[in-house]
Amino acid sequence: MKTIIYTCPYVPAEWIAAHGLHAGRVLLDSVDPGFSAARAEGVCPYVRSFIGEVINNRGADGAVVTTVCDQMRRAFDIIVRNCDLPAFLMNVPSTWQTLAAQKLYVDELKRLGGFLIGLGGKAPSKDTLAETMLAYDDARTSIRSAREHLSAKQFAEAIAAGGSLKGEAFGDGSSDSGHPQAALQAATLRVPLAIVGGPLMKPDFDLLDMIEHLGGRVVLDATETGERGMCPKFDRRRLREDPLLELADAYFAGIPDASRRPNSELYRWLKRELAGRAVRGIIFRRYVWCDLWHAELGRLKEWCNLPVLDIDSAGDNETDRPRISNRIRAFMEMLQ
Amino acid sequence: MICAGIDAGSRTIKVVLIDTDSLEIVGKGLTDQGVEQDKLASGLFKKVLKSSGATEKDVAATVATGYGRNAVGIADTTITEITCHAVGVHRLMPTARTVIDIGGQDSKLVRLDGSGKVRDFAMNDRCAAGTGRFLEVTAVRLGVELDTLGKLAAGSRRPAAISSMCVVFAETEITGLLACGTGREDIVAGVQAAIASRIVAMAGRNIEPPIVFTGGVAMVSGMAAALQTALGQTVTVAPQPQMTGALGAAILAADRNR
Amino acid sequence: MTDAPERITLEEWDVQYEKLRRAGMRQPQYGGPLSRHVEDGDHRLRKLRYDNSAAALRLWNFLLTEEDRLREARSAGKKIVGTMKDLGTVPVMAYCFDNVAAFYPDGAWWIPCVMELSDGLLEVADSLGIDESFCPVRAMLGAFVTGAHFPIPDMLICSVGATCDDLSAIAQRLNGLGHPIFWWEMPHRRCPEQDEPAVILPGGIAAPKCQVEFVKSELERVKAALEELAGERLDEEKLSAGISQANRVRQYLAELRYLAFTAEPCPIPALEMLIAEMLAIHFCSDRRETIAVLGELLEEVRGRVNAGLGVLDADAARIFWVNPVADLQVMNLLEDCGGRVCGTEYLFTHALDMIPQDVPPLEALARCALADPMAGSSIDRAERICADVRRFGAEAVLISRIPGASHCALEGQVISEIVAETLDVPVLEIEVPPVTDSMSPTLRTRIEALVETVRARRRATQGIRSDR
Repeated sequence: MKTIIYTCPYVPAEWIAAHGLHAGRVLLDSVDPGFSAARAEGVCPYVRSFIGEVINNRGADGAVVTTVCDQMRRAFDIIVRNCDLPAFLMNVPSTWQTLAAQKLYVDELKRLGGFLIGLGGKAPSKDTLAETMLAYDDARTSIRSAREHLSAKQFAEAIAAGGSLKGEAFGDGSSDSGHPQAALQAATLRVPLAIVGGPLMKPDFDLLDMIEHLGGRVVLDATETGERGMCPKFDRRRLREDPLLELADAYFAGIPDASRRPNSELYRWLKRELAGRAVRGIIFRRYVWCDLWHAELGRLKEWCNLPVLDIDSAGDNETDRPRISNRIRAFMEMLQ
Repeated sequence: MICAGIDAGSRTIKVVLIDTDSLEIVGKGLTDQGVEQDKLASGLFKKVLKSSGATEKDVAATVATGYGRNAVGIADTTITEITCHAVGVHRLMPTARTVIDIGGQDSKLVRLDGSGKVRDFAMNDRCAAGTGRFLEVTAVRLGVELDTLGKLAAGSRRPAAISSMCVVFAETEITGLLACGTGREDIVAGVQAAIASRIVAMAGRNIEPPIVFTGGVAMVSGMAAALQTALGQTVTVAPQPQMTGALGAAILAADRNR
Repeated sequence: MTDAPERITLEEWDVQYEKLRRAGMRQPQYGGPLSRHVEDGDHRLRKLRYDNSAAALRLWNFLLTEEDRLREARSAGKKIVGTMKDLGTVPVMAYCFDNVAAFYPDGAWWIPCVMELSDGLLEVADSLGIDESFCPVRAMLGAFVTGAHFPIPDMLICSVGATCDDLSAIAQRLNGLGHPIFWWEMPHRRCPEQDEPAVILPGGIAAPKCQVEFVKSELERVKAALEELAGERLDEEKLSAGISQANRVRQYLAELRYLAFTAEPCPIPALEMLIAEMLAIHFCSDRRETIAVLGELLEEVRGRVNAGLGVLDADAARIFWVNPVADLQVMNLLEDCGGRVCGTEYLFTHALDMIPQDVPPLEALARCALADPMAGSSIDRAERICADVRRFGAEAVLISRIPGASHCALEGQVISEIVAETLDVPVLEIEVPPVTDSMSPTLRTRIEALVETVRARRRATQGIRSDR
């Protein structure tokens, strides 16, 4: 089965899968410092890593990039000039309140469909799409219901793998990283925290373990690769009536993000989730050169009455780790 | 009994001994950092003990803090410098609500509540441009001693604009400014303003006074004034600004001992 | 036409001003000696060099009195519209209303340069968490907070989507401070797919018809908002008339640019050309006066070209300039180093191309808006740059990166590569912050090296020709 790689949460995995292709949402790793197709100065490390992933990926048959950020938009230009992998740039509108913006998103999904068909996919029937959506919906429900039983890192990994897992159950409480049930129960004694920001890369998942090791408990993963980037539950009745519209509505309207204009929905979502999970501190995770999220830091601090720890990363795990560890340790000392 | 705080910073190691009951300082000392941190810390610790008339048996607990704290073998535990500076400043100036600490390699802004507990903090430990390192580079480039920078800056009428976010490139800018005939006083004032502007970016809009300035850079004259100008509020240099971290560590050692 | 055109300093302008005044120079109400603006805090003016014509004086005075005009407009009861990011489309509509004045708050990005950082705007932005890792347009935030530079607009209109993250993030921060913003969507302009109906946009690029329709529908929303603000309807006739006036500006600029970039010797300095081009975006808050200012400037330049007079040496290296500069002094620096600007791409070519007048007016504006170089790929942008390099006969390309601007790093890379591949001309990238004094030697070295490279290539080409 051909694989389509992407990172953006506004690309519905169901849509790709319903076309008979494998939706490979990529969890990026830090890019090799020697990578030269894209310069480093001024470039978001996540974007640079993504360019590297697309150019070097031997298993993918196509890539989908979205316009959610400037740098990704320009990354597409680098990609098309440097590799032969078929790539599609999906226009995800920044505005969201108008019917025109919503329709644009639907039209882009249809156009994406054309790209997928061009790669050997097959236009799905309503029923095929609906069934695919139900399977992914069930998988996401499983993942969400397992949250209480998993460490933050396990939960993040489950979400990351969610694109390829359909209906697998979670929640027996054991894990490869050695968090037995008893330890997880003890987690309720730790300080409940939220991690907020854009997408995480693979090495960042260790950050989640670090937080928990130092006495925190990440009860809300509001990163792009976390819960915030998960499509909400489908309206099953509407799904049966018009699955494509329901898919578009759930993804486009249901995933709040800093890039939205206005991004009031992000704060509405955060207010609800922070209060609902009794969060006592926020870890704000951003990349150096990511303007969209950096600009929210000051606002977030003014808006919420919680302590906010800023963690900026240049994507170099070796030098970032001791710094980040020190900051988190200080944060936990403050909260405990 | 006494308790000890050891602040293993990026440039210097500081030791403070306090009486466990009264929390009064009974001894303190400072030495330059080096490769063998543990040995240097241990050596300083013993020296301070001796000069205060105490022995290791009198030490009930030791807390290490700072950049190199994990290398200090004689510490019973480690606590971050954010917490320690907060405690140390609160001891010296109980009304302080904001602490700005600028060291050799990092800078931090810590907000305190009424009881001296950390309410919030922000750090710059990635970029040398907001730290003492920038002043050191400037002093070398201008051929002056670090402790004369303040006097130079006081003579500035128009601080030079330093654009670079990076100290390495900023060094090139300083060369450029000298080549253009910009006075050293304006260059120093510009560097101090650049450092202060980074603190403003960390501080945000709501900075609560009294504001206390600590860390080695607090002892460089002119920096407090630069911060005052940038923040638009009075900034007070803590008494013994280099020692607040070690003092806080010692107080926390005493707390734990109880 | 001014005798002996040259570039002069501000002090020399005081002398020149008296000379022109005695000779009967007619000045608009906002006229006067250039040096008076320094008293208002525009310290940078002391370091710049200017064209010595009355037309250039009028241009500068026009630019530097915009804030006064906006305040007068507010006092006269006009509605003030701040149009952010779209660089040349919404103001065309806004100026169709008699009781509306539009301006470009993003233009505040030059205040730190012109006031040599004495304005404190960047510090205000710092305090809001928008530090130097952002584009200097962050000064706009400071301007809104202090209210010291322009009156707070009655309405803010901002295009987002395929625009620029810095401006978008800064606008959102502004919104978060309590300033309502009317957001409208600019889709990412793509190539038409096979069998997809397409439209040729101003500037020659093709786009899918459905995208033009989308932008048109967005502009309908903007129009409706403006109508509500102004309290009057904007019908096709009025809009067509507005487009016609906007096209007069664009026509003057087209001729000015052609003469400035191709005539020998160079008839007008790069700095005045930069200011002149910027007038196309929002008419500096007075569309009628913009036409008059550009008309006078064009007349001066035509006169010089006819007389074979210029401000620079005949052998100045012909440089195509990409991206606007945050420090105006850098345009002087190019000329001081022996270069001249032969072509520009300041990120708003869509504000310079003629707005079609053979299609319904809103459709015409939509086509123009979609032709925005930022809305499409950097590859499109690079191709247009290459075409213009050929058209104006430039010998090298200089890409001026805007520090902190999110699109610049990768875009600069793509443009450099394509220009080098397509044209085989030297390409230089520099970064220009709001005040470049400390970097002047570094920048000078780079620009001088580029000029030397151009001259060496000329000699090599002439050598080959004479061998033949």
